[in-house]
Amino acid sequence: CNEYQKALKSEDIAAKYKVGEELYNAGKFSKANRLFEQIIPQYRGKPQAERLMFLNADASYQTGEFYVAGYHFERFVSAYPKSSKREEATFKAAKSYYQLSPVYSKDQEDTYTALEKLQNFINVYPESTDVTEANALVKELSFKLEKKAFETAKQYNRISDYKASISAIDNFIIDFPGSSLREEALYIKFDSAYQLAVRSVEFKKKARLEAAEAYYNAFKKAYASSTFLEDATTKYEDTLEQLEQYNTKS
Amino acid sequence: QELSYENSKEYTIADIKVVGNTSFSEQTIITFSKLKKGDEILIPGEEISNAIKKLWKTNLFSDIEVYISKTEGDAAYLEIRLSDLPTLNELKIVGVKKGKQEALIKENKLQEGVKITENLITTTKNYIQNKNRKAGFLNTKVNINTIPVVDSLDNAKVNMVLTVDRGEKVKIDEINFEGNTVLSDKKLRKAMKNTKQKNIIRILKRSKYIEANFKEDLVSVIDKYKENGYRDARIISDTLIKKNAKTISLNIKVEEGDKYTFGDIEFIGNTVYTDDYLRRKLRIEKGDTYNGVLLEKRIADNTSPDADDITNLYQDHGYLFSTINPVEVSADENVIDMEIRISEGKPTYFNKISVVGNEKTNDHVIYREIRTRPGELYSKSNVVRTVRELSQLGFFDAEQIDPQFKNANPDEGTIDIEYGVVESGSSQIELQGGYGGGGFIGTLGLSFNNFSLKDIFKKDAYRPIPTGDGQKLALRLQASRFYQTYSFQFTEPWMGGKKPVQFSTSLSHTKQFLYDATTGNADKDRRFNITGLTLGLAKRLSVPDDYFTLSQALSFQHYDLKNYNTGLFTFGDGSSNNLAYTIGLSRNNTFNDPVFPTGGSNFSITAKLSLPYSLFNGTDYEALAEERDANEALYADTTNDSDVRAAASNRISEIDQERFKWLEFYKIKFKGDWYTKLVDKFVFKSSLELGYLGAYNQDRGVIPFERFFLGGDGLGTYSLDGREAIALRGYPNQALSDNDGGTIFNKFSLELRYPITLKQSAKIYALGFLEGGASYNSFKDYNPFNLKRSAGLGVRIFMPAFGLLGIDFGHGFDPLPGGTVKNGWETHFIIGQQF
Repeated sequence: CNEYQKALKSEDIAAKYKVGEELYNAGKFSKANRLFEQIIPQYRGKPQAERLMFLNADASYQTGEFYVAGYHFERFVSAYPKSSKREEATFKAAKSYYQLSPVYSKDQEDTYTALEKLQNFINVYPESTDVTEANALVKELSFKLEKKAFETAKQYNRISDYKASISAIDNFIIDFPGSSLREEALYIKFDSAYQLAVRSVEFKKKARLEAAEAYYNAFKKAYASSTFLEDATTKYEDTLEQLEQYNTKS
Repeated sequence: QELSYENSKEYTIADIKVVGNTSFSEQTIITFSKLKKGDEILIPGEEISNAIKKLWKTNLFSDIEVYISKTEGDAAYLEIRLSDLPTLNELKIVGVKKGKQEALIKENKLQEGVKITENLITTTKNYIQNKNRKAGFLNTKVNINTIPVVDSLDNAKVNMVLTVDRGEKVKIDEINFEGNTVLSDKKLRKAMKNTKQKNIIRILKRSKYIEANFKEDLVSVIDKYKENGYRDARIISDTLIKKNAKTISLNIKVEEGDKYTFGDIEFIGNTVYTDDYLRRKLRIEKGDTYNGVLLEKRIADNTSPDADDITNLYQDHGYLFSTINPVEVSADENVIDMEIRISEGKPTYFNKISVVGNEKTNDHVIYREIRTRPGELYSKSNVVRTVRELSQLGFFDAEQIDPQFKNANPDEGTIDIEYGVVESGSSQIELQGGYGGGGFIGTLGLSFNNFSLKDIFKKDAYRPIPTGDGQKLALRLQASRFYQTYSFQFTEPWMGGKKPVQFSTSLSHTKQFLYDATTGNADKDRRFNITGLTLGLAKRLSVPDDYFTLSQALSFQHYDLKNYNTGLFTFGDGSSNNLAYTIGLSRNNTFNDPVFPTGGSNFSITAKLSLPYSLFNGTDYEALAEERDANEALYADTTNDSDVRAAASNRISEIDQERFKWLEFYKIKFKGDWYTKLVDKFVFKSSLELGYLGAYNQDRGVIPFERFFLGGDGLGTYSLDGREAIALRGYPNQALSDNDGGTIFNKFSLELRYPITLKQSAKIYALGFLEGGASYNSFKDYNPFNLKRSAGLGVRIFMPAFGLLGIDFGHGFDPLPGGTVKNGWETHFIIGQQF
């Protein structure tokens, strides 16, 4: 029967607090939290409660329970607006939501929440040492949203719905103008237009080939040294060749 | 002293006094009245009347009056006179059944201690009267008496006696019409849906007079006229005549007016569709009887969202912002010329398509199924179909798929859709122990319906298993003392993610031991192994329509017998190989919920074929068949020497081993289910199932594998030899076929289903069924009318974690083969499979 077990069964809340804090400092967050949760109601309104709530929230964060951690940190922030730990809690609350944000291909609700909370942190504590990290996280999350829109547009190309792919890429470029994925996006737009044109019925073919030609030129102008250029140029030459027929015919 | 408003004067309130019979403190009442000592008010004026109103509103007092008791210059002395309302002491109800009294008290708040106001008495009276009238007691009389309780305390209490005399139930003896010449009384009476003359034969709709319904029915009468071109028709009067205590009659006087016909119908503003095309949609010609109701319906039918009307014609072809208005331009000589004014608006294109709520499923699995794509013309029917097909994936709660239109932009002609989904548990774990087949059967089944194969090496993806790529993975282990089965299945619905081509593979291995009669245990030396591998491809077609699927599969089974002699196989040692190609065409457009479809149909036709080995392997099966017959005769003749008989038996085994070394057969099956929504939530399901197993070479004969076993719950306990268990409730499992199984079967089934709850956590429905089927050994015996019939009732529960569970009680009306008495009741437990 060790100290932890004793504290768990003990009636003495001060002893629980002490053991809990020791466990927290020793990195045993899960055990610490079991003790904290037992005594939080009794400490409510007392001066120790501030520290207790922070430790409780942080222990949740450390054990990977980010949903609970986010909630506890936010409660801490609203309950102790004058606390010296407020800045750290605000940041960790936002970071908890960052941790909850899933892979780009799933629902991004938590990503949007995390972005909002992080931005809020940056606005409130622009001088904080954590701002650099917060900015990095914002960038990472924003890229996730970019990637999502891009992959969706790219998928339309993959399943041979080229019209949808062109529309979705256009939306992507409008929504994320400075995206690092823009290069590939422009390439896919050209590819979709090219595929659409070569599969086209005769009376629409010329216009579609011309559209593909224009997309190629836009792509080449923007990314003259692109890795996609070689493949694009092959398709472009084919486009020109096919266009040639129309020019000689008329 | 009489004061008139013209000469009202400003006073300062010097003092307020409260007099009268009240238990409230003076201060409380004064506060309630909002009058304050020292206030300057006009007398007479607003303040005083407001004070009276405020006090009335408390519902606590009666006889409220405010007086000026005296004035001293500008100072007025006010006096509020009032008395407390009596409170209810005891309530006595006469003429209402005990069981209904409580509800009555609750509905009208007639608890002890409530203040008795005029309003309370009136509303109670009306409540009881209306309630009884609705039940047909038109002459209900309600009487409420209050009797003050003689009490020593100040606050008055009363006892209340509530007497209800419902009288006789009043029926409508006759409904008479006056002034009608074009439509008969009978027709008009029929138009009245809820008010009916008394009639002994009519049971469902009893004759009773409810005023609200009667008023509605009068509108129906006018509508009836309108449908027939009499658009000026009106009701001049309606009279209710009390004939006696039990009956009334209704007299309705109508004025029919003139008959109108449609004149010229012009379409204005249509550029997308020609007048001619729209006229064909409208299906109303010049000279037709004027029918406003029909016209409305053909333009925009509000009763059904996917009706064949002009609004939907535009909506389905991109004109989301179109509006259509029929306008009468002239009505000369009872001929109505119409203009149908169409504002088409810009064609609308889908712009952004998004999905939210997919916490487990990856985007690409969903987006590829969505039929509304960016840049495509708006189509309502594609939205409807997307919702239906997303629900059929089985990953989301069918009831909660919610397409939200966003950013509708009539100027640009664009609209966004956000599909909201809610993930539902799509994995099943089956851990089952049961008693059957002569011993304990244990089953462990894992089936993951939304698996992600590419994530199996990613540690983070395990929560608790990698999900989200829409793949199916199933593992199943089943074991009893007599057999063991291991199987593995994997399905990828979009092979390579490019085209809707489903790839599936399955592997299975079965071990079967012979029953040892002496020990009652499994005889491990005598066994029968089956190993199988199947590869399949299924492609969604776009022709004839895109509900069709073409599937192909290549399967191989290896049967290995070791000293395993039963009636089933005529050779005890040896092996059999079944290499077959299956091709199937199916169409499934059942809607909404795959657990409880409410419409559409689902059918499939499949053919499973082996190679015609006998054509090219050079064996003379005719000679073998003859030799076999000869040996059978030798064996059957018990007068023969035992050595001769044993040799004959061995030779038969050898011949059969030759015949079944590579199985040669073809099998054709058809299965169809049709779902129809009936009244209320009832759904009617009719199904038809047929199967035929044949041989290319009659001398080689029909194989003893792959056969049909009809009867019971249809759950395949083990697919020992490619056999197929066909359900037929009301009979024991597989009891309606021979021991070796049938080669032909047919089955017809009618089922009526009613959903009890369709919540996500548990879907429950009840069903009643009628079915019949039979299995035969050859076309000679085939008779589709000689069926084993049954009927019964059952219930199904679907829970995401457990799959479908159910119980059916079936009554078999016909005897089992070889029997003479009807089979009677059978109970079937259904696990994970639908009839």
